[in-house]
Amino acid sequence: MIHQNDTILPFAGFGVGLRRTHYDDFLSADVPVDFVEVISENYMIEGGRQFRILEEVRAKLPVIIHGVSMSIGSADGLDSDYLTKLKQLEQRIDPLWVSDHLCWTRTSAHNSHDLLPMPLTEEALQAICQNIDQAQSVLGRAMLFENPSSYLTFPEDELTEWEFLTEMTRRTGCYLLLDVNNIYVSSKNHGFSSEEYLAGLPLDRVRQIHLAGHDPATPERDIIIDTHDREVCEDVWALYGKAVAMLPQPVATMIERDDHIPVLSELLGELDRARGIASEAKEPALI
Amino acid sequence: MTNEVTPLAQRQATFLRAILDESAPLPEGWSNRQTAGLAVYRGNYRSAVMGALAETYERTARYAGEQAFRQACINHVIKHPPAGWTLDDAGEGFDQTCAHHFAENPEVAELAWLEWAMLAVATAPNGTPMDPAAFGAATAEFGDEDWGELRLAMQPRASSRVVSYNLTLLWKTLGEQARERCDPRLTEPQTCLVWREGERPTFILVEADHADAFTAMQKGATYGELIELLLGDNPDPSPETIQNAAMRSGAMLGRWLQEGMITGLNP
Repeated sequence: MIHQNDTILPFAGFGVGLRRTHYDDFLSADVPVDFVEVISENYMIEGGRQFRILEEVRAKLPVIIHGVSMSIGSADGLDSDYLTKLKQLEQRIDPLWVSDHLCWTRTSAHNSHDLLPMPLTEEALQAICQNIDQAQSVLGRAMLFENPSSYLTFPEDELTEWEFLTEMTRRTGCYLLLDVNNIYVSSKNHGFSSEEYLAGLPLDRVRQIHLAGHDPATPERDIIIDTHDREVCEDVWALYGKAVAMLPQPVATMIERDDHIPVLSELLGELDRARGIASEAKEPALI
Repeated sequence: MTNEVTPLAQRQATFLRAILDESAPLPEGWSNRQTAGLAVYRGNYRSAVMGALAETYERTARYAGEQAFRQACINHVIKHPPAGWTLDDAGEGFDQTCAHHFAENPEVAELAWLEWAMLAVATAPNGTPMDPAAFGAATAEFGDEDWGELRLAMQPRASSRVVSYNLTLLWKTLGEQARERCDPRLTEPQTCLVWREGERPTFILVEADHADAFTAMQKGATYGELIELLLGDNPDPSPETIQNAAMRSGAMLGRWLQEGMITGLNP
């Protein structure tokens, strides 16, 4: 179900996640970012200090609300209480856009509070598209969905992840949040080519890029884990440059850190590097 | 609409059971590769839930000690795996888990109850406390009937409980990082009232009879019903007993007003 008014225009800029440890930085001065992204669930609340701070930051900067609990891939359907509260947040904040992940987190009985992998099958695709239609209909706007990092694939898979995402955007009109680190992590865990992944996506649907760090594989554990607890690694920076060069439109790029959160200046340093790489990637090649 | 369980729903249920319970059967056709991947998701689940409990119950953890607290968390999560969309809800009912787990130290459960109540008011809707002068003006012309039918609006999600331990002392001591030895027992039970002052969750200990009275008014009892509550089961109270109950209810109302716990009249 694609709505006429669901177009999300490109937004060119560089931002960070708004985290509690940086509240004072954002309240006391103008931080050199073009937007902030917040975890939706942290602000799907009724009042108090945390929400007041978000409102103050919103008065200065565009805000993106990024969820981790919509469970868009749940075969049991979406949680109506969750959707109601997300809609309330969306109305209170008027975000640039609303995003979540290509994943599932819960059944009707329990919640894993983790981004669990979808089997890449036609059945799963139909379920997820039905859920996306419902979410976009409730919100009255198109959403972005992020490619996940994953630690297993399913024997029953029928599609590659990029084929799945392509078909998902085609059927629902949703957009993509490209997590470059997640592409890298999953490519190493499952043995596919990051470049092939990028080339297979509908890149005109990408509106945002996430950059984050991960825990590399070890001799004891050959799985790379997406931890968001350290700086972006060199391979991911290189892949970011390739992705930006391939995109037909400007996008919003952000540094995502959720654990071992450093002082803000450190994240802003990484953001400067992203600016530099994006600028170089978009320069015409010198002959 | 059909209630048929789809293959995808079955697969997701099996997957989630395997995350929650290490001994649950794995989905059919899985290799070591999938099992290794599942272990990562299981680890993520455990650290997310344990992390949420540790964050919500910071002082309880400090008081109980790391190992004992961790074991209580494991018991809680096994018995009450999270179902809601917010991770904060993983801590719901943890005070009852503590009551069983630390049966010989009931103060642990009281402390856990307080931390949960403080978390609940932190994100409650904003409530503006009624100014005592405004209360005085609004009730200046009240006759007996008006007083008897008066209802109060309280600060959203405020809560109350009778406690046997000095939570004020424990809260302060445990906020200073180190667990200091102290005897937190109260000489007689008191009521702990929890609400938000502006943006700051706060609590006080007051006389024990506040708990039932506060809860009744929160649930919409009238001031007249509050006096009846204070009279208890006395079928034929003397005028002096009635007078005392009226004075006691007045004292409570004054305290709630003074503390900023009342936000309006006759909501």
